Amino acid sequence: MPKLPHIRRLLRTRCRSAALITLLALTASGRAADWEMSLDTRLVSSDAGRSFMDGGLGTTRYGRQTSAIQLGRARFALTASLGELWSAHLDASAWDDKDRSPVGVTEAYLQYRPYPRAGYRFRLKAGAFYPPISLENRAAGWESPYSLSYSAINTWLGVEVRTIGLEGQLEWLGTRTGHDFDLGVTAGAFGWNEGAGVVLADNGFMLHDRQTPVFGRVGPPGAGALPFQQFDGRAGVYAGVEGRWLDRVVLRVLRYDNRADPTAMDFVSGAIAWNTRFNSAGLRVESGTGWTAILQWLDGETIIAPPGLQLQWPFRAQFALLSKRFGRHTLSARYDRFRIDSNSPPPEFEPYGYQSGHAWTAAWMFDADAHWRLALEWLRVRSSSYNRADLGGPPLATETQLQLAVRYALGSRLH
Amino acid sequence: MRPPARLRRIGCPARRAAGVLALLAAFGGRAGAVLAATLVIHVQTPDGHALSGAVVTARPLDAPARRPAPVHAVMDQVNRAFAPDLLVVSVGSTVAFPNSDSVSHQIYSFSAAKRFRLPLYRGKPYPPLQFDQSGVITLGCNIHDDMLAYLLVTDAPYFGRTDAQGAWSADVPRGRYRVSIWHPRLRESEADLERELTVGDADRADLQLRLLKSLQPAPIADRPHSWDY
Repeated sequence: MPKLPHIRRLLRTRCRSAALITLLALTASGRAADWEMSLDTRLVSSDAGRSFMDGGLGTTRYGRQTSAIQLGRARFALTASLGELWSAHLDASAWDDKDRSPVGVTEAYLQYRPYPRAGYRFRLKAGAFYPPISLENRAAGWESPYSLSYSAINTWLGVEVRTIGLEGQLEWLGTRTGHDFDLGVTAGAFGWNEGAGVVLADNGFMLHDRQTPVFGRVGPPGAGALPFQQFDGRAGVYAGVEGRWLDRVVLRVLRYDNRADPTAMDFVSGAIAWNTRFNSAGLRVESGTGWTAILQWLDGETIIAPPGLQLQWPFRAQFALLSKRFGRHTLSARYDRFRIDSNSPPPEFEPYGYQSGHAWTAAWMFDADAHWRLALEWLRVRSSSYNRADLGGPPLATETQLQLAVRYALGSRLH
Repeated sequence: MRPPARLRRIGCPARRAAGVLALLAAFGGRAGAVLAATLVIHVQTPDGHALSGAVVTARPLDAPARRPAPVHAVMDQVNRAFAPDLLVVSVGSTVAFPNSDSVSHQIYSFSAAKRFRLPLYRGKPYPPLQFDQSGVITLGCNIHDDMLAYLLVTDAPYFGRTDAQGAWSADVPRGRYRVSIWHPRLRESEADLERELTVGDADRADLQLRLLKSLQPAPIADRPHSWDY
């Protein structure tokens, strides 16, 4: 095969040229290209069971087996204007876990943002991104500015839920037309979400900050999450409304249904389609004195129906978060509650997937300057789990994790 | 190009005219006594505190209103915010919108008094815009949704903003005036806050205006721009 190296070389050159041309084009035309990178390292102490990232059923990111020094996240993000009304967004990260690939893309999308007209603003997103549910993950990279570990609800969204498709948003800008509030409606259509739900049935709710890369996997092969699959030919949809009072209060309600065919199977990989649907609601209230309160609620079910079976797992979770900012310091406390029921009918009845628990999180975040951030978090999760007991673990467990994180960020906007 | 100090002295032509009249009054005896006095407006919140930054306009009711001279003003963009957050100019004035940030902005208004769009830019690529119609213009950036500022274009001959003590003053000819108050976070109609007063024989006429409803809370200032807000 004498020609192959030549072709490879040619391809490599072509790819490099294309990358260079793209970069040059972005620099020259997209005057608003912004980049950001950060490195977050952790010092960890945990008595939790083996974590999901290691193929276990622990509810926290790190288990008692993990070493004390960990890579929290290495992240690179780019936002570039493409002409006048389009922009491109890319968010890539590495976590040093047993993922499918060392670097994964958590979000990559194009956004169309025409100028607001007559008090209305329309936005369209195409690509892979988070649906507008979380009121906690508001910082860059879908991180929480209140704690290192996300709430149970938002941890699950980060692991299994992503829009790989289209989303339209129409907002009435009341606050720009002499009123106290804004109103918005959102609708999305997506594919590649047949695998969403399996983590709830297998592992249950968890509290950590691992986001599954698009088309990627969190955790070791065979035990991790592989949510972004498409084999039943059906698109999922969601629709939501959002109300805002000035810049102080946000209320979001959203209905989500991945419309997967629960009888569908991928005969190559053996994967089953999980029909996952839920209602979610959230309320965030902020004061001018640094207080923030967030309430989020999630209620849904996930269903599979391989030949001769119909298995259903209703799930629900809530959390309340209270946070106070003192200059560069942020102190936060959060209480989470979650439950998954198992509705396997007799005679095979066994409550596979049953889980019930609650968690307390306390965190201190210190933004030393634009580049350095220090964070200390204590997390305690108390849960009972049928699956854990089934594998020889304790049916009822209390898991405690302490993390100290140092993050250094660089970027075109950080001076 | 005019010097920057000139740009910031919004409303000064009217005051300068009044100042000339006051000067006439000082040297001209009887005619001056008819013409010049100081109008002082004090604006208070419902709980009696001084309200700074409120826009005061005064229109004479006896004589036909003389239009104030247009000015050249600047609405800058610094650290992903408009600077200042409120600008008051007379009808016919021009306003420049330079972008002093390192990131591009895309400034727009969909307000009836002036609709415009300034496509993605940094620095000063666009000539100043002229504002020929009175009214409130809400400014936004289509890239950074939290950027917000107001431009108030007025045809009143006397106008300005209250100082830290909640006061605004102007030297005006004697006569009857209609005084109005405006603030971006006002919760009551401007008509409810209009007052008429007579600037009589005294050297000074004072009017105290108290809002009936408290203002909307000010935008939260210390929230990082990178957050979803």
